[in-house]
Amino acid sequence: MSSPALGSARRPWLLLAPTLAVIGILLLWPMVRVVILSFQDFGLRELVRGGAEIVGLQNYRDILTDERLWRVALPNTVVFAVVCVVLTVAVGTLVALLLHRLSPGWRTLVTMSVMAAWAVPAVTGTYVWVYLFDARAGFLTGILGQLGLIDVATTNLFTERGWFYAIATLNVVHHGFPFVAVTVLAGLVTIPSELPEAAMIDGANAWQRFRHVTLPMLKPVFAIVTILSTIWDFKVFTQIYLMPGGDGSNREVLNLGTWSYITAMSQNQFGLGAAIAVLLTLLLLGITALYLRTLFKEEEL
Amino acid sequence: MSRSGLVVASLAVVVFSLFPVFVMLSTAVDEDANAGGRGIIPGGLTFEHFSRVLTETRFPDYLLNSLVVAVVTVLASGLLALFAAVAVARFRFSGRTKILMMILIVQMVPMEALVIPLFLQAKTLGLLNSLLGLSVIYIAFSLSFAIWTLRGFVAAVPMELEEAAYLDGCSWWQMFWKVLFPLVAPGLVAVSVFSFILAWNEFIFALTFMADDDMYTAAVGLRAFFTRSGTDWGAVMAASSIITLPVMIFFVAVQSRLSSGLMSGATKG
Repeated sequence: MSSPALGSARRPWLLLAPTLAVIGILLLWPMVRVVILSFQDFGLRELVRGGAEIVGLQNYRDILTDERLWRVALPNTVVFAVVCVVLTVAVGTLVALLLHRLSPGWRTLVTMSVMAAWAVPAVTGTYVWVYLFDARAGFLTGILGQLGLIDVATTNLFTERGWFYAIATLNVVHHGFPFVAVTVLAGLVTIPSELPEAAMIDGANAWQRFRHVTLPMLKPVFAIVTILSTIWDFKVFTQIYLMPGGDGSNREVLNLGTWSYITAMSQNQFGLGAAIAVLLTLLLLGITALYLRTLFKEEEL
Repeated sequence: MSRSGLVVASLAVVVFSLFPVFVMLSTAVDEDANAGGRGIIPGGLTFEHFSRVLTETRFPDYLLNSLVVAVVTVLASGLLALFAAVAVARFRFSGRTKILMMILIVQMVPMEALVIPLFLQAKTLGLLNSLLGLSVIYIAFSLSFAIWTLRGFVAAVPMELEEAAYLDGCSWWQMFWKVLFPLVAPGLVAVSVFSFILAWNEFIFALTFMADDDMYTAAVGLRAFFTRSGTDWGAVMAASSIITLPVMIFFVAVQSRLSSGLMSGATKG
């Protein structure tokens, strides 16, 4: 770049300096620190007096031999995430396909509604679902009772792991599908309309057209929404923590995110909590890497 | 799908999308909100829950805290991201690609994994219970997305405009504020909406950092309506409506500009 308007060679670094400082101090260093913490015995005493003893892999040994990891936190995290990702991507894609076929007026109405759902904060959205499934007064609890699925007089849905996570799934899918719908729709409009039309003339039904025309062309879009949904759904915190029992008072519904937080913040076992957080992060990195590898492998073919 | 099929499907999506919003609003204005066993249609309309939340609780303080944090986050992250975006879009220097990659990768770091070390750090530095301390964290989390978006907008500004300003005798900083800044304003709007919503809605850091009642943000302060003696659902939903509606209306209003802004930001890179 020879333009004099650009100024000196120092200028880009001057412009970048504040950003690099913020990222370094608030993201990179804490990332290193959480790993260091996970090797330390860091409890209330260390919090007050400072200094912490390195205990090697002890925290990891404690977690990996804790049956709560295998029986509660890991299944809750993984099964919940897989179900949420599948449902979020499926619902989002169906809504995108619908939006793509609507007339402009209807499309605006549906888009506005979907956007409104997107803008509901996780906190307030969660309170609404909790209210709807409330043990005594809940509107949806009443409907479940009338359908004969539960006995309203004796049931508190939030104390049962399966129902707890079913409600959380509804909440997370409702919160997450608008992003998928909007992103997939943005991809759909880039497909030339001749392609599905030609397939239709060749006698392909709706599913075949989706499977053999839309899906291959939108593979990168689906990869992005699936990766992002996976990352989000594995570390769901707010929606679980704010449900009755989700703050640790019902140990059956812990997931890795809430377990890590409660271990550190409520029990002051910061080293142990950090080790759980590191495990969760490794899990996320592993899954992302797996996705990307599959993606690039298929690209080569 | 037939014409009527499309209409039915559309209505189903609208109802599913708006159902929680409807329940939130209808409970907030229902006389019988705390009566128990109510449906979702108000028995009688009242604004009593809103007036109670706004005059008899600390909720207005919490709203103000949220507003301060969100505005500081929007201004600071917008400005820092613009500086950084200009650096990576307008200059070629060694380390540029590495920095871009790093900014992309830090976006993948789960906020939840950083809450423990950042809490300990903030405690050591005496930054707990501070609106500034909280804002700084939100700034860090919104920077990466903001830089990648603004990068496209900066790259789309013709270099000739900057050179012309320079020939007219502008200094680099004058050129920056008078030429570049107005031209990337649409990008800044898109970025601001996203960082505002991030700061406004965030829960886990606000919960962890704000120990004192008077420092709560609105999202955390809602917990005060859940007490041992029962939940004041009328108050919860009135306060939730106050938190949700302004952001939602704004988001829906700017959404078409927002998505076109993001699209061009993404493709013009």
